Amino acid sequence: MKDYTKNKSPEMLEPFSPNELFRHIIVSCFLVVVELIAIIIFPLPFKLTSKPDYVPWFLLPLYKLNKLIHSEVVFISLVVVCALLFVSWPYLIPNGTGEHHNLWQRPIPFAIVIITITSVITVCILNL
Amino acid sequence: MDSNDSQVIVSETTDKGFLRELIEANLTRRLIPKGLSWFGCMGGLSLVAFIIQLSTGIFLMFYFIPNIRESLASIQHVSHSVPYGWLIQRIHAIGPHIMVGMVFSHMLRILFKGIYRHPRELHWVSGACLLILTLLMYYTGSLLTAHNINGHHPIHLTRIYAIHVAGIPLSMALFMGIHFFMVRKTGICESL
Repeated sequence: MKDYTKNKSPEMLEPFSPNELFRHIIVSCFLVVVELIAIIIFPLPFKLTSKPDYVPWFLLPLYKLNKLIHSEVVFISLVVVCALLFVSWPYLIPNGTGEHHNLWQRPIPFAIVIITITSVITVCILNL
Repeated sequence: MDSNDSQVIVSETTDKGFLRELIEANLTRRLIPKGLSWFGCMGGLSLVAFIIQLSTGIFLMFYFIPNIRESLASIQHVSHSVPYGWLIQRIHAIGPHIMVGMVFSHMLRILFKGIYRHPRELHWVSGACLLILTLLMYYTGSLLTAHNINGHHPIHLTRIYAIHVAGIPLSMALFMGIHFFMVRKTGICESL
């Protein structure tokens, strides 16, 4: 386990319990409340209804891509390649040196991420 | 007191000492860097959302019948006849949206902060695999109900059910183990 006390004065440290534990308990309670509010807002219909066109927001980009690309083989290959690129991202982007740790301080990776996110949102919103 | 009794007492004392040491080292005496961001809790929230899904899913497993003829009736039975079944079913249906939202926020924060850099590459790899598995979990779960409702999809309900309740959760447990082991080993990023 990592020791955070090395090269640190006691003023720079705080106890894990109760400080951090309490923080996690508060946000977990908040999550449960959000989930219960969502249940009240979106109640279950009395009879199950067929909704074949329903696509959740997080699968919308894949659904749109599937509509754009007619070949199943090309679609699956593209999704697999994108997933592999996403998983191996830390090995593809060279480590920033010195203070350039944040993404917005490094133009090329930042541009790639912003263009990707913007294009995904645009494709979903514009219903292409 | 014979030698066997003394051995038992020594063993119990050692066990209590080990347990106390474990709790003190990991919980009560553990010190962490001051001023960690509240947004750092997103990873923990993803785990809480997963635990909620797991517990509600186990409850639903007792009632769901992965059979083309009986599955729709079993879903209706949970909704209308089982006490609080509707609530458990609804939590299990709403949960993925919240869980995916938490995982996305966690990963976007890691990405923009650049916390995936060396020595935390494996955190990213295991986390990205967990996100993909979460999406697959949703997809297989939605196929179970979609199949029930439409009734004419040429998909094997039992296989999809087995993947949904055993295959993907076991893979997720493996990647979670790697993720938590790496987080404990390298620690959280202190420049938050």
